[in-house]
Order: sequence, then C-alpha cells, then structure tokens
Amino acid sequence: MSFTFDHVSLESEERRELRASVAALGRSFGRRYFTDCVREGRQTDELWHKAGALGFLGVNLPQEYGGGGAGLYELAVVLEELGATGCPLLLMVVSPAICGTVLARFGTEEQKQRWLPGLADGSARMAFGITEPDAGSNSHRITTTARRDGGDWLLSGRKVFISGVDIADATLIVGRTEDARTGKLKPCLFVVERGTPGFEFRQIAMDLSAPEKQFQVFLDDVRLPAGALVGDEDAGLLQLFAGLNPERVMTAAFSLGMGRYALEVAVEYARTRQVWREPIGAHQAIAHPLAKCRIELELAALMARKAAVLYDAGDDMGAGEAANMAKYAAAEAGAAAVDTAVHTLGGNGLTEEYGLASLLTASRVGRIAPVSREMILNFVSHHTLGLPKSY
Amino acid sequence: MSLRIVVCVKYVPDATGDRHFAEDLTTDRDAVDGLLSELDEYAVEQALQISEASDDAEITVVTVGPEEANKDGLRKALSMGADKGVHVVDDALHGSDVMGTSLVLAKAVEHVGYDLVVCGMASTDGTMGVLPALLAERLGVPQVTLLSEVAVADGQVTGRRDGDTATERLAASLPAVVSVTDQSGEARYPSFKGIMAAKKKPVEELQLSDLGIEADLVGLGGAWTAVDSADARPARTAGTIVKDEGEGGKQLAAFLAERKFI
Repeated sequence: MSFTFDHVSLESEERRELRASVAALGRSFGRRYFTDCVREGRQTDELWHKAGALGFLGVNLPQEYGGGGAGLYELAVVLEELGATGCPLLLMVVSPAICGTVLARFGTEEQKQRWLPGLADGSARMAFGITEPDAGSNSHRITTTARRDGGDWLLSGRKVFISGVDIADATLIVGRTEDARTGKLKPCLFVVERGTPGFEFRQIAMDLSAPEKQFQVFLDDVRLPAGALVGDEDAGLLQLFAGLNPERVMTAAFSLGMGRYALEVAVEYARTRQVWREPIGAHQAIAHPLAKCRIELELAALMARKAAVLYDAGDDMGAGEAANMAKYAAAEAGAAAVDTAVHTLGGNGLTEEYGLASLLTASRVGRIAPVSREMILNFVSHHTLGLPKSY
Repeated sequence: MSLRIVVCVKYVPDATGDRHFAEDLTTDRDAVDGLLSELDEYAVEQALQISEASDDAEITVVTVGPEEANKDGLRKALSMGADKGVHVVDDALHGSDVMGTSLVLAKAVEHVGYDLVVCGMASTDGTMGVLPALLAERLGVPQVTLLSEVAVADGQVTGRRDGDTATERLAASLPAVVSVTDQSGEARYPSFKGIMAAKKKPVEELQLSDLGIEADLVGLGGAWTAVDSADARPARTAGTIVKDEGEGGKQLAAFLAERKFI
C-alpha cells in the first residue's frame, strides 16, 4: 500500500474500499447498459435498486433511518465512481443528497420515518422543485406560495426543469409563506406526494441522452396536510441552504465521473489507435490535451472533496464557497474532458459505438445546473473578492 | 453446533496490471497492486450462501501471504460478509510453492477448526488449481473439487461438477474440502455496511512457529520445484488485415491454406 496524499489526508481505507466496490458494481453494468436504457426509454432501475440494496444510495443518511451513517463525501464517491463507469445516477443528486439531507436535518420525526428508510435503500425517490419560469437563478423571486386553510396548506405555483418527477414518489417543493407579522414572503419546503390532486407535471422535450426526464410542474391549490411542511415554518431559508451545498458537491461528482469516463475512453483509444508508425497517443498534439484534462479533473476532484469534508464537519458557510468552486471547476473539467475525448477519436468520437457524442450535451448540464457558471462567478466576485454587486 | 466454514483465499497481483517476476524469480509484488484473487471471491460467495442457508454458521477466511495480504486481501472477504480472518505471515514463507502453501494452510485450517473448507478453482497468479486437492490430502478428508453448485445438509456437502462430456453430482460427508468454479454464481459486492463492519472483525495473525511448522519445509528453500529462468511472453506481432475489395474471401482462404489450417 502506498502512502500518497490522497490516502493519508483524504481517503480512509473505508472510502477507498467504497470506491472500489461501487466501481466494480458500475463496471458490471457498464456504459452499454446505460445507453440501452436511454434508447429504450427505460430507467436505470436495475442499477438503482442494486446500488440501494448495497447501501450506496443512502450512505449519507442516518443509521437509525436505514442509512449508512457516513456523509456527503461518501455519497459523492458513489456518484463519481458510477459516472466513471459510464453509469451515473442523476437522481442521487436530488433524492438522497438534497431531499435526504434536508429531511434528516430538519424534518419532523414523522417525516423522517416516512421517507428516509426508502430514500436510503432506493425503494423511494424524491425529486426537488425549486426553479421557476420567472425566477431562474433568482431564488428570491420564487412565487410558489402556500397559504393556510384551516389546518391544511394550499400550495400554488409553477416549477420548471424538475428532474425525475415522473419516477419520484414525492417532490420536495420550495415555496413561500406569508409572514403573519411582517407580510414578507419567506421560503419554506413541502413534501408533495406524486398523486396529490392539483399536482400535475408535463415532460419538457430535452435534447439530452439521459434516462431521467425533465418536467414542468403545475401546482394548483394543492391541498397539503400540516405534516407536509418540512420542519419549522421559520427556518425555511436555513433548510434550503442545507440542501443546496450537497447539490453542488453532487453536481461536481456527476461532472467528474463523466469526465473520467470520457478521458478513459480517449486514453485507451490513443494508446491503441495506430495510423502511422506510433499509436496516436505518442503525438503530443493528442497527448497533451489529455494530460491537461487529467490535471484539471484531479484539481476539481480535490476541491469537491474539500467541500464535502467542510460540509460533513458542519461548516455550512465554509462549505458554500468550496462547493461553488468545486461545481464550477468540475463542470469545466468535465466538459473539457468530453470535448477533448471526442476530438481524440475524430470521426469515431461521433459514433454511437464509442458513446462520447451524447456526452457533449450531457456534460453541459454541469455548467448550467443547478446554478449557471456565471452565477458562481458572481458569487465568488461578491462573496470571496468583495466586489460590488451588479444586481 | 455451528457449522464451521473456512475459506482459503489468496492475495495476488492484480491480473490486469503489468505483472513481472522479481530478481529471485518469485512474484514481484511491488510493481503491481495486490488484491484478493478474483476466483476466490466465488469461494467466499458460496460460503456466504451456505452460511445464510444454515441456522448457525461461522465463516473464517484464511490466507498465507505477505503483510499487505491482510488489508488488501482478507479485508475484501470480510467486507463481503465473512466473520473473521486468519493471516499466516512469516518472512520464511517467501517463495513458497503450492506444496509449502498447502502445508501451511492445512495447519492453519486445523488450528481454526473446520467442518467445511471452501477454495476457489485456482489462483489468478499461479493458476495451478491443485491446492484444494493437496489440502484435502494433508487434512485426510474427502475432496469435492471444481463444483459449479454446492450445498450443505445433514452433515453432507453435495454439489455439481460440469465436465466437458458429463455432469457429475457429488456428495461427501463432512468434514470435507470443496473448490468452486467461476460458474458457481456471481460474487457479491461489499455493501457499505459490510465495508464499515470489516475493519472491526478480528484477524488472527500467526507465524510458522505458532503452527509448529519448520521453516525449511516452506519458502524458496523448501519448494519442491525450482524456477531456473523466466522469459517475458514475446510481444504479439501485428496481424494481417485483409481488406475486402471483392477478393476478401479468396485472400482469407489463401492465408489459412498457407498456414495449413485448411
């Protein structure tokens, strides 16, 4: 065993063993499984449930609710390693990472018992609805509103680009309530089960090769019991932020996994493809861009681990900056790796056989969601550098 | 009384790595990461299944190997679900052949106490596949090798061996040694709980003296075989590519005829 920085400073034996076990599971399915699911319009359910049964989907959730009792670090390991085998599970970003975290930290005892065991073993899934047509990146303009009706809540509004609503048992909806004292709107979160009357969703046609679909959601006076409100009505903003850092770290893991997968395909091709005397990987015009991708992926991975370590240590504020930087860096590195991989393969990079072309669009998701890279640059400009705000 | 299952596993260099011999013509363990022999994972899996089907069973994994064989080999079997480990580690073991290894394993298995010993069909480095037979002989118990199906009931182990021309159904009374093939069923992946639990499972470390084995019976000196020289496999030469421009079939036939394949 070697004592590298990774081993000593970041990756415990258990984490490395988790990495190895998840990677072995992912390889047993392989990229072909994923692309077949996309082509046949199926979900990657077999992989999802197997990963759930092995405790991989709920590693971050508390043990008393069926989880693994570990942290966001471990959850990110799972998503990254599955992605590196070509089989990312997008809903991990929302179901255990956002919804699981929010419920575990702020949910009522009843909510935890109702949802966490299922989210942990994968038998239940929860989507997350925050983005609105007129709010976009400006979450202060969220207009989905809840008002009291006796003991119930009535929730109305619209959401857009919500992943996996069709396969989720419930969606965690970010809405606002009117502060009784000041009249100001403040955020709050509601668990809305899929079959609730007034909760409707429509698929958005996306040019993305992914098993998980995107939806518009329409909430028309959806009547919810008091128990649908997550935790405390006054702690909504805190709860929201508790879920958003894991989302960024997991998005980084998603980009990193995809980038690693693309790079591996490209490196293997560059090592074996021979048109003149040497394999094409001997030419620096091919080799250097691949080396650069490796460097950038490695750097982004380090930042993602830093963010996860801070988050798991309970430093929400410190994790925020690192998570934003990690999401940014991983998205750039992931997109660059896919781009470089495609050009390493030339024409083959655009064939179905090598499966890289569809990643060109998929790798852009990390640049756009959950917040655009421009918003992250804004965050770093204002928050880290102290520059004045333009908005 | 509980069913005592012992699984013999081997720590080997990763078969996907670039494997070499060391200067003394033994396995070079430094150049390539080591891991649990993939073929032994099938043995662990079958032991787990037998254990799960039994009311009361305990699985001990035993390995003979260098220091790292514990963390990088035994640990995998423990994280899959085995209950405890035994690691025989001793500098004098360096360079042991299958005769030496089988001697040490036999003593270790007796030390643990056993009703059933489960082995893989072969190691992925030595690939001799004779260890289970040698072990059974040394222990003086029946051997039922190369099974693709195995079960234990009523003091008997039964199984199926798929040969090229016939399928045999075999049975032996316990205690016995069995080996299972890579057709016996996919080995499970360590679950997160299994990974976390493995570190806390006991691993007993033993030296040759603990087992009463004289050092000159094992290691390079005690080996029944000696390796005089080893050459790297010659690099594969580039094949001939026949481009079909209307004459592809004829060219293929000519190629095969030239080499007397047809």
